[in-house]
Amino acid sequence: MAPMLQSSQQWVEKYRPRQVKDVAHQDEVVRVLTNTLETTSCPHMLFYGPPGIGKTTTALAIAHQLFGPELYKSRVLELNASDDRGINVVRTKIKDFAAVAVGSAQRQGGYPCPPYKIIILDEADSMTEDAQNALRRTMETYSKVTRFFFICNYISRIIEPLASRCAKFRFKPITEEIMSSRILHICKEEGLNLDAEALSTLSYISQGDLRRAITYLQGATRLFGSSISSKDLISVSGVIPQDVVEALFTACRSGDFDLANKEVNKIIAEGYPVSLLLSQIFDVVVEAEDISDEQKARICKRLAEADKCLVDGADEYLQLLNVASHVMLALCNMPEELNYES
Amino acid sequence: MFVLNPNISYLFIIAIAMRKKAGVVVLSSDDEDDNPSLSSNRSYAKSKSKPLVTRTNPRPAKKPRLSGSRSRFCRESSSVNEIGVSFEDFDDLLNGFKVSAGSGRSGTNELWVDKYKPCSLEELAVHKKKVEEIKMWFEKRLRTKDDLSNHVLVITGQAGVGKSATIHVIASHLGARLYEWKTPTPTIWQEHVHNCNSGVRYTSKLDEFENFIDRIRKYGLITPSFPGESRSSIILVIDDLPVTNGRTAFERLQNCLLLLVRSVQIPTAIVVTECGKADSGDYTPRSFEELQSSLENAGACKVAFNPITNNSIKKTLLRICRQEQCSLTAEQIDLLAKASGGDIRHAITSLQLVCMKPDRMLNLPSSNSSSNFTKEKADELSGSGSGFSMQFGRDETLSLFHALGKFLHNKRETENVTGMDQDAFHVLGKFSRLPFKMDAPEMVLCRAHGQARPIADFLHENVLEFIGEEAMDDVSAVASYLGDADLLFASFRGILTRYNEAENVLQSAAASVAVRGVLFGNSNPLPSRWHAIRRPKLWQVEQSAMRNKIELVKNRVAYNGSSLADVSVIATDLSPALKWLGYRSSRGLMSHDVSMQGNKTEDDSLERMSLDDQECEISDDDEIEDW
Amino acid sequence: MLWVDKYRPKTLDQVIVHQDIALNLKKLVTEQDCPHLLFYGPSGSGKKTLIMGLLRQVFGPGAEKVKVENRTWKIDAGSRTIDLELTTLSSANHVELSPSDVGFQDRYIVQEIIKEMAKNRPIDTKGKRGYKVLVLNEVDKLSREAQHSLRRTMEKYSSSCRLILCCNSSSKVIEAIRSRCLNVRINAPTEEQIVKVLEFIGKKEGLQLPSGFAARIAEKSNRSLRRAILSFETCRVQQYPFTSNQAIPPMDWEEYVSEIASDIMKEQSPKRYINLREVNGIRRVLLTPTNYNLDSILRILLSTTRLFQVRGKLYELLTNCIPPEIVLKRLLYELLKRLDAELKHEICHWAAYYEHRMRLGQKAIFHLEAFVAKFMSIYKGFLITTFG
Repeated sequence: MAPMLQSSQQWVEKYRPRQVKDVAHQDEVVRVLTNTLETTSCPHMLFYGPPGIGKTTTALAIAHQLFGPELYKSRVLELNASDDRGINVVRTKIKDFAAVAVGSAQRQGGYPCPPYKIIILDEADSMTEDAQNALRRTMETYSKVTRFFFICNYISRIIEPLASRCAKFRFKPITEEIMSSRILHICKEEGLNLDAEALSTLSYISQGDLRRAITYLQGATRLFGSSISSKDLISVSGVIPQDVVEALFTACRSGDFDLANKEVNKIIAEGYPVSLLLSQIFDVVVEAEDISDEQKARICKRLAEADKCLVDGADEYLQLLNVASHVMLALCNMPEELNYES
Repeated sequence: MFVLNPNISYLFIIAIAMRKKAGVVVLSSDDEDDNPSLSSNRSYAKSKSKPLVTRTNPRPAKKPRLSGSRSRFCRESSSVNEIGVSFEDFDDLLNGFKVSAGSGRSGTNELWVDKYKPCSLEELAVHKKKVEEIKMWFEKRLRTKDDLSNHVLVITGQAGVGKSATIHVIASHLGARLYEWKTPTPTIWQEHVHNCNSGVRYTSKLDEFENFIDRIRKYGLITPSFPGESRSSIILVIDDLPVTNGRTAFERLQNCLLLLVRSVQIPTAIVVTECGKADSGDYTPRSFEELQSSLENAGACKVAFNPITNNSIKKTLLRICRQEQCSLTAEQIDLLAKASGGDIRHAITSLQLVCMKPDRMLNLPSSNSSSNFTKEKADELSGSGSGFSMQFGRDETLSLFHALGKFLHNKRETENVTGMDQDAFHVLGKFSRLPFKMDAPEMVLCRAHGQARPIADFLHENVLEFIGEEAMDDVSAVASYLGDADLLFASFRGILTRYNEAENVLQSAAASVAVRGVLFGNSNPLPSRWHAIRRPKLWQVEQSAMRNKIELVKNRVAYNGSSLADVSVIATDLSPALKWLGYRSSRGLMSHDVSMQGNKTEDDSLERMSLDDQECEISDDDEIEDW
Repeated sequence: MLWVDKYRPKTLDQVIVHQDIALNLKKLVTEQDCPHLLFYGPSGSGKKTLIMGLLRQVFGPGAEKVKVENRTWKIDAGSRTIDLELTTLSSANHVELSPSDVGFQDRYIVQEIIKEMAKNRPIDTKGKRGYKVLVLNEVDKLSREAQHSLRRTMEKYSSSCRLILCCNSSSKVIEAIRSRCLNVRINAPTEEQIVKVLEFIGKKEGLQLPSGFAARIAEKSNRSLRRAILSFETCRVQQYPFTSNQAIPPMDWEEYVSEIASDIMKEQSPKRYINLREVNGIRRVLLTPTNYNLDSILRILLSTTRLFQVRGKLYELLTNCIPPEIVLKRLLYELLKRLDAELKHEICHWAAYYEHRMRLGQKAIFHLEAFVAKFMSIYKGFLITTFG
């Protein structure tokens, strides 16, 4: 069994930067953190920003650089959202880990090894409020021997008492150039052939999420071999080709309900995920120049409603048809009120 | 969303279950203990001729003694009162004892219900014919020695209509001894614990009852204290049927009673108190009905007691008033009688409460000196008529069907008369509705004791018939509201199992939405007319859908060879196609035979369902006449 | 054996419709690197066929030797023990199950059962193929909780077990799962592709296909290959030799929905045939001489609405396990066919509205009926304003 699973190592892991200074594009954060590393004095930290821009990578890199591979296991506790994280877990797991004393500061094998432990809480914003409150006490109790690294997408979902105890680092979205250079680096390592069009498609479909870009790249490689076209990437990512969205839009502009219905049927038969389609329609609508603000508002309102319904598990066809119908009404400046409703 | 009716008041009815506890009189613990529910209750003999004085009749005999001691106490207390006039709070308490100080017959703080327990046939408020009937029945069995087929009389009726009292009075009238079954099992937890500690093993009430019946059947009644007396003058009364919980326990009880009916040789009365709502989906009332009919089938004779008429109650109340020397107006008595709903025990209890009040206000040593004031007080009381009757009214229960009928018929006032509405905010014409001709829907719901979900189902099943033919908009509104209710029922399904209260709130909210949606949506209720309320067909549909689904799931492997198919695929694609193909089993593999079978059973179940349907339509009709 | 099963491609090489995908899948497994897979696409597009082919590609013919079990799991859920029964289909190397069958307790299935299976690695003396494949059907019907715990399970046991997930709409699968799988979209076959398959089957069965006949079946199949083959076989049973204008028997439930649609278009309220109960009611009125009143009889006869009749038909559909959302969609389809353009927007709005509520609610009939009532109300209003 061994040979088979070895090669399945995720590229995301394989190409994860090991050093804080290698973290792509987060210069400011990197500067502060390198400073921290030198002095080995480290506050609680809170990393936030959109997904796939190196938050977890940074946290892991710091931990590695502070303790080195030997002490890492005993000094660093990683908890991510895939673990069960109720109040009890926070109370027991963290307490158990934090309660074991650490030795004094001694450099070991070239690593600073400061006299505290690090607890990395990934996806902290998915923790319940109760759990966060419980954590607050724990932080105070063990503040002498532990440092917490919180990682989250939305800082607004971290309760204020927790956030105020941390040094906050905002991670910026990655620019296209940085992403391209990173992708090209991987391509070189893996021996892939990626043309310019495919590269720009990749950065478009991944929307600044480097992890997603790498995942797509790996998926495409698995399916299509070492030379990858833009089409391959689209099919792997599940992103809906732009012409499909355009076709739906054209049908809506025509004002012919049956035409739009047919288009919707086609999209469903092709199996495109509707929630994704909605967000792509949203992009198109917002950027369109020939649509008035009022029309945009009307359409976006429906898009939002349909998205909520989809989250609740409503039927894709009906929701998309409803959206198409309203887009049509908006584009053709037909009144939104339903005429025959009593 | 709703028409807000400003008259809505949420009334929380606290039902105080008044259980007649016979063992109140512990004061006299000598050999003449007259606790009426104790077994071998000795001397009811010939009480009619000398009702009040004889020592042989313990009831009246005890009273002078008690009143004596009580009046002594009262004298003391009144002197206390004279001394400390300022301690009014204290006095209130003591005045309670004083109320009846003057009366010859009383003088105790006994409950009037016990005090004025009927002692003669004349005093009984029960209908004369009923009493006569029962008397005849007992007489026949006591006097004649011939082998009559049955010896068991089942007496039914709601609480407080004088079932037990009738038997007691008749027994004393006939000179028979009452032999009552009284459970020796501890009924309170502390007692139980105590018994456990002292080594007494706990036996359930039902076990005890079984043993008791067994003993009676085998040996008859053994009365060691009166060995000489003849067997003829004994009446066995079973007044306190053990509570049964669940089907098996109930069946044990039933068997036990059936045995009794078949084999007992002494006249026996079984008193069954009806819970008043035979159709409320509860388990117990239905099972009691079953019990009664099975007993009847076994040869028991059944007498049903009706609620006591207003006039009888009034007569009794007036008598008590006279004896207690409290003056209530005729209207007050009338109100009390009406509010009691035919429950004389309740009426007397209320009377005692009412009579206490004015006296307390007087705060004078002798209550009867200022009848003027009492009258004023009384007027005031009767003036606030509705509140008065509310306060002393029985907890009115409605049957589920009654409540549904109210909602569906949706009776409204013909015009908006309530003055309060003028000040309230105005709603658009199409949203305004005339006020209800009933209490707030929530209150009706609360009285009907129905569960929320079934109520919504019933409404859904029946509401269409109550909406005018042309009012499609109304139908749509009603359907939408029922959908809202369904959403409320469904929200937090499963998640909130730990937080029961929240779920309960949701349930009642959903029921309220369903009911009010039906009431509001039906903007022009049809004139009322004859209608049957159907049982929701939905329940059957759900069941058979479930059955079919299980069938499909079982057979899905068969359909698809080497992989599992989705249920929806089988239902929508495969099985209709198989029907068309009229499936040829000869060519199929083993697995396909299974699929054939599957189809067949499905058909069977469908047929069965339609059969059930018809039966149900006939049997479950519960007519609702116009009310 | 049904043709759908008989002509189901056994290997990835035999696939006619999704040849490109089959090729990619083959490449995927020959590279000895199989990630978790998520197949999604409409019903009847061939997901299952591809999955079976893939399993055969990985494990050889052994993958087809399956046994069916009705297993019961005892699950310790804190305070109580739950017994869950689930049908599984398993070979030496893979297990297939539909966790959504157990309803809202699906999360236990996912947590415990998958854990248990993933832990029991198959013992293979050659030390090869040391992992099991778990095929999960209808992942989109799993509750959120179950999906989250599925994601955890995926991570924890990824070294010993590969998951193949299968669903109709990937919108209903949480992002966390989608991002951990290689997503394979299976589109519905085009009508031309369906014709090709039908012709292939026709040839194998030695049938004469009149020109245009296969195309008609394909058109009516709504791009579902399964449906097309089933109707093809039904046509064969109904009438052979084929004629090009031969009637293609519809699915009975669709016929039924079509009737409902006609019903509610025809009349927006009254009357249906009286039933036994009403006859009894009338008899009772007649038997009470004092109460004799022709008017009340008439009212009984006229009392019920058309909606009531529709309800009965809806019940019939639900009894036969036709999923309510499919009923609603079909009903909308039928109504849209018959409606004027200006009403279509409104009707499709309400269809979406009530379907959403149906999904949130408990009893589908309440919402189906609310939709029908809404439609009747709107349509009646429309008729009145249009024709006075």
